[in-house]
Amino acid sequence: MLLINCPYCGERDQSEFSNGGEAHVARPKNPELVSDREWSEYVFIRANPKGIFYERWVHTHGCKKWFNAVRNTSTDEILKIYKLGEEPPTLKDFKNTPKTPSGEPKVGSGNFAVKKL
Amino acid sequence: MKKKYSFFSVLKNSLSYHENWKKMWRSPEPRKSYDIIIVGGGGHGLGTAYYLAKEHGLKNIAVIEKGWLGGGNTGRNTTIIRSNYLWDESAHLYEHSLKLWENLSTELNYNIMFSQRGVMNLAHNEHDKKEIKRRVSANKLNGIDSYWVDKNQIKKLVPIMNTDNLRYPVLGASFQPRGGVARHDAVAWSFAMRADEMGVDIIQNCEVKNIKTSKGKVEGVETSKGFIRSNRVGVAASGHTSILAETAGIRLPLQSKPLQALVSEPIKPVINTVVMSNAVHAYVSQSDKGELVIGAGTDGYNSFTQRGGYNIIEDTIRAIIELYPVFGKMKMLRQWGGIVDICPDASPIISKCDVKGLYFNCGWGTGGFKATPGSAHLFAYTIAKDEPHVINAPFNLNRFISGRLVDEHGAAAVAH
Amino acid sequence: MSALNNKSPYVIDDQKISFTFDGKKYFGFKGDTIASALLRNNIRLIGRSFKYHRPRGIYTCGIEEPNALVQIPSEYNDPNIRATVKQIYEGMVVESQNRWPSLKNDIGSINNLFSPLFSAGFYYKTFMGPKGFWKKVYEPLIRKTAGLGKPPKKFKSKSIHFYHNVDIVIVGAGLSGLLAAKKLVDTEHDVLLIEQDNFLGGILKNTKKIKTINGQKVNEWLKKTETLIKNSKNINVLKNTTVTTYNFSNHLVALEDKSVGNLQEKNKPELVLHKIRTKHAILANGHIERFISFRNNDLPGVMLAASFEKYIHRYGVIPDNSPVIFTNNSSTFSLVKSLIDLGCKPQAYVDAREKKQIEKKTLDLLDTHNIPAYIKSEIEGCDGKNKVEEVSVRAKKNNITKIKTSMLCVSGGLNPDIHLFTQSRGLIKWDSTQLVFKPNSSFQNTITLGSVSGNFSYKKTSEEVNKKLNFLEETKNLEVKLDINDFEKFNIKELWETKHAKKSLWSKSFADLQNDVTTRDLKQAVLEGFDRIEHLKRFTTNSMGTDQGKISSVNSLGIVSKILKKNISEVGTTIYRPPYTPVSFSAIAGRSTYKFYDPERKTPIHPWHVNNNAVFEDVGQWKRPWYFKKHDGETMYEAVQRESKQVRRTAGILDGTTLGKIEIKGKDALTFMNLVYTNDFSKTKPMSGKYALMLGEDGMVKDDGIVCKINDQHFIATTTTGGAMNVLSHMEEYAQTEWPNLNVYMNSVTEQFATFNISGPKSRIILSRVFSDIDFSNEKFPFMTFNKFNYLETEIRILRASFTGEIGYEVYVPPKYALALWEKIFYYSKDFDLVPYGTETMHLLRAEKGYIIVGQDTDGTVTPIDLNLNWMIGKNKKDFIGKRSLIRSDIVKENRKQLVGILPLNKSENIEEGQHIIESETLSTPIRKPVKMLGHITSSYYSPTLDHCVAMALIKEGRKLIGGKAFVSTPNLKTIPVQIVKPAFVDPKNEKLLS
Repeated sequence: MLLINCPYCGERDQSEFSNGGEAHVARPKNPELVSDREWSEYVFIRANPKGIFYERWVHTHGCKKWFNAVRNTSTDEILKIYKLGEEPPTLKDFKNTPKTPSGEPKVGSGNFAVKKL
Repeated sequence: MKKKYSFFSVLKNSLSYHENWKKMWRSPEPRKSYDIIIVGGGGHGLGTAYYLAKEHGLKNIAVIEKGWLGGGNTGRNTTIIRSNYLWDESAHLYEHSLKLWENLSTELNYNIMFSQRGVMNLAHNEHDKKEIKRRVSANKLNGIDSYWVDKNQIKKLVPIMNTDNLRYPVLGASFQPRGGVARHDAVAWSFAMRADEMGVDIIQNCEVKNIKTSKGKVEGVETSKGFIRSNRVGVAASGHTSILAETAGIRLPLQSKPLQALVSEPIKPVINTVVMSNAVHAYVSQSDKGELVIGAGTDGYNSFTQRGGYNIIEDTIRAIIELYPVFGKMKMLRQWGGIVDICPDASPIISKCDVKGLYFNCGWGTGGFKATPGSAHLFAYTIAKDEPHVINAPFNLNRFISGRLVDEHGAAAVAH
Repeated sequence: MSALNNKSPYVIDDQKISFTFDGKKYFGFKGDTIASALLRNNIRLIGRSFKYHRPRGIYTCGIEEPNALVQIPSEYNDPNIRATVKQIYEGMVVESQNRWPSLKNDIGSINNLFSPLFSAGFYYKTFMGPKGFWKKVYEPLIRKTAGLGKPPKKFKSKSIHFYHNVDIVIVGAGLSGLLAAKKLVDTEHDVLLIEQDNFLGGILKNTKKIKTINGQKVNEWLKKTETLIKNSKNINVLKNTTVTTYNFSNHLVALEDKSVGNLQEKNKPELVLHKIRTKHAILANGHIERFISFRNNDLPGVMLAASFEKYIHRYGVIPDNSPVIFTNNSSTFSLVKSLIDLGCKPQAYVDAREKKQIEKKTLDLLDTHNIPAYIKSEIEGCDGKNKVEEVSVRAKKNNITKIKTSMLCVSGGLNPDIHLFTQSRGLIKWDSTQLVFKPNSSFQNTITLGSVSGNFSYKKTSEEVNKKLNFLEETKNLEVKLDINDFEKFNIKELWETKHAKKSLWSKSFADLQNDVTTRDLKQAVLEGFDRIEHLKRFTTNSMGTDQGKISSVNSLGIVSKILKKNISEVGTTIYRPPYTPVSFSAIAGRSTYKFYDPERKTPIHPWHVNNNAVFEDVGQWKRPWYFKKHDGETMYEAVQRESKQVRRTAGILDGTTLGKIEIKGKDALTFMNLVYTNDFSKTKPMSGKYALMLGEDGMVKDDGIVCKINDQHFIATTTTGGAMNVLSHMEEYAQTEWPNLNVYMNSVTEQFATFNISGPKSRIILSRVFSDIDFSNEKFPFMTFNKFNYLETEIRILRASFTGEIGYEVYVPPKYALALWEKIFYYSKDFDLVPYGTETMHLLRAEKGYIIVGQDTDGTVTPIDLNLNWMIGKNKKDFIGKRSLIRSDIVKENRKQLVGILPLNKSENIEEGQHIIESETLSTPIRKPVKMLGHITSSYYSPTLDHCVAMALIKEGRKLIGGKAFVSTPNLKTIPVQIVKPAFVDPKNEKLLS
């Protein structure tokens, strides 16, 4: 159960929020000038990394404000939350987190061996 | 078939204290190169290898699995099998699969316990009713056994269901008698066994780290056990598919999300069919052990932790208690999560891509198990012939560019 | 032998309680569990096993119980209840499970005879032929044998949820948990101490291992400590509460049983689910003893040694006066001591360890009291009918000695209870000295204390507590001196199973008691290649019972590691899946059930609808009148025909309050609206409305409604009822994330206005009477204009619009005035026969007119062009959401499905919604080959005005086919010949609408 620190309301349970997928995907300025392929990339394709993920959340059952977060999708740890328009942290800020950590243990499947940052 | 199973083989082995059973599959070390590499040792991947060997005569194949066979969504789903999909493309795909299911135990000589106890999809409002009736009509014309059943017929099939005294009363349902459930693990094991018998190398605990390409062609895969060469690679790694695709420079329209399920303590038989309700998010069947097997909804965010929000479990259990007041005293025994890869149109991808020799089988979202033999069969065809079968042709990657989607969830809007 | 009156001196409560087990009445004492009470009455046989229906008894004294599961008919037939946990109360009715006709004579036990066949994977290898037999014969039979308990009865729970936000949670109030709590007394940390049992103290009360603490008797120290904790300003204590789940972000879920030892009260919550957010979680939840597999290790009379000890000290019942004790580790010293202190003499002591490994204290005790000691020996097996009668001790290789006894106490070592720790995703490691899996590193803010850390000796408890908790602010070092009567240092010899003396098809050692998994099954599974522990579990069902293998799963790993000749840590463990113990569905659901399942939204006119025999339809959360029954016998069809006819003849009124209303304001409101809707509002005159379409970025119709422009900086948009929330979210998302530079704000005003749709030829005159100061003439109040008017002390808005094709008006009124105004409208329309109508009539009227309903005539795959709504697309606009998608290669093709009208050639025939349009007149049934479908009927109604059915359909290349013929299927696979027409059946030239 994620605990999300809404930059406007404070820490709240994940059930108050909705996720908006990848952050910083700009809508083409002149849609009519882009190709079908480029347009489909914008509409349908979003990053889906196992590891550091820049994403959007909205406090649906609260202030209804959108904001950005950086989360490790292999551990669900939220590493950073920042408002729209604020400079996103660079990947270097999270350099200890491999992009696709292979979390699963060598044997069995229990005890998901994820290293804490 | 080298290993033959029957009542007599069990009897014979019992006399030798069950000490002479043979290994179901070998555990070979990977060779330097293969004609075809399948990434992902779940039902889809193992099935693909099986059909490649059996129907296309290709034997120099490796299935590479990061963990253990069937340990991903194959072993984590609620095992529902049906083919009553709305669009022709989907209906043909899942019906193709259902037909293979019906003969799979015999074909593989391993009882995967396909139990055709029927699948019911409930309507809780007028809009549901219209949608379901439309789907039933389309199913019938596609030659699929699909019926509209009214409240009285539902009561007969599932006497414990509360149809009237609940917030969203049950108004009717679609029913597919040929639908049902199967023993998920056994599907992976038996495909593995028969593929192995035909010479397929099944390599567990070997993680594919990236797909190597050169000049638009596949060259092989880099694994935790070293580089393995192959100019044909099929990826069937569910939640992890898009990550592997990216290593080959392909961006797939997939998002990996948590999907949860749970089982109750085992009780004597009480519900004899599979009941699904999209409107209130509750899917339930009773296993042959007596546990209620319950599927919950998907979480809205991307995650690879195989864990979801507790609120999702709560919502599902609430719906279950609404529909089945006798389950108030039931107890949740285990809950778990899987990682489902979802396409924007809620339909799968079984397709070639811009890289020659690279094929994808992914995007099954919450519905991959029921497609296992069908998907594997068509994926094998696509890899063997380097072109899609007519059934999986619509499930190509290009549809997201051209706009010809197979939108299986579009019909969810609520009317005026 | 124990008897009710021959109890140990440790019993606390003398109150006698009666209950029944399988119809027979027994007595126990208050505080007894079902198990302790039955043991008090010398009952050993409690139930039957899952597969072989073998007789089973009480194996443990707590939540880890695999065998003694019972049904409680006095509590809605609650199944699979652990007899070792559930406390008795006066009049409780208990029944054994999985037996027929009786526990002693169970027909199912015939399975035991065929057990050599029922090996691992039996079902996978059999029942495959002949054809059809699986489906018709085998599978139904197999399914009948499923399950343990019988289904429960209908039950309405009162359970609730309780939320905590704390700094520290301590799980377990045994010695370490209490010391941790003591350390935190009166600090600024907000602490929650959670104990599974109904008292604090754990091991301090369940054993006599600790004599004094700081010189005080244990009970005195406990009392003082409890008072100290209770009086502390910062510590809350929850008893009878089990932490079941440890989620990410230090979110814990705990289940509190509110009716321990009592019948559940009807009007109070029987269970409370605590949902806890904490900064730190201290796990001090102890350990669980494990068993050893030997021949017939499942017979009633075999019990874990520490459980036996707990029955003595906790419940004051001695399960047996002279049991045989079988151990491979230090922990059984205290059992020997406890028995001797009570004047009981163990029949024999069997220890697998070398003599030098065994505690001197133990050897001395055995020696002093002349207890036969079998050193470096093991139990080969035990025998007896329905209970232990004799055990076989193997001293040297196959040198078997038989000893008559009725009870065998077993200890195979201790398992730190790491379930919660691994749920938190902490890492564990194998300790090859103590032979345990124990915590290695935490993933979250998790601290483990005491035996869950693998620290079995009490000597170092306070040292550990200090070391691990001193980082917490305000804590001081605790000085604790313990006088311990237990082993000094834990030692153990590796022993997971003992070999059978004789090989027999029928002899069994169990690896999992509840699921009847034998050690032979494990070996067979490994032979067949299931050497990964997850495979093994799934192939054999090992540790998949309701106890999740708490006393046995490590043993299975041990056995498998031996076969594979691997270190146990290389075999690994399976995932410990939440919950820790099974949790009632009712508790998980909490109060959001029954009438609180989902709120019912009602309009201000709802009471009037009820009084006027409205039949309601659920639309989202809203209750909307579907149709109004004029008299009891009137069918829906009749009502809808009557209502729609009357709207076209005179006038009708619909409660349209549920439609979403969104107010949009800001300097850039016009720019924004031009981006989110297909329409161009630039030239729209102030105070007029426009029918508007909203697309998703994929170009598909998402919603529609009327957008009213007050001026370029102020709009009010209506949405569909179900789409209201989505449309607002959609707008917010784009305003905030895509175009933050635009000055625009929006808010839902759905609840701030009730909306009445009045339409029909007489609607103008009716409204003129109601609002005598407003000029409703066509000149002053033309179609698609609106205005604000003063009404009483408030303001209302009236828009001239129509969804029926007749002259129509929408009146927006604050809810407070709504019902009175609604009644007023009826008062002024007496002469004009105003009819209230519901959603069904609305649907019919708009279909006659050819208006679409988003969600019925569209399904997320339909573009405006498909709907012939090109005229709604602002041609001069450079961009709007979805525009680019409309020119993708497959979207511009003419072969898409398009909206058309459908009329039956034979006017008396009725077309059903959802049916499909096909080319062929006949269908050969049963259908084996897919039939080509051109499209489907999206809407179909019997028009009373035209006296035949009118329908709309989405058909492939529909526009080209207009004027042509086709066929529509029926549910019975017949066909109806139809004509394809333009989708407008009434007033196609809008003469009535604009009049």
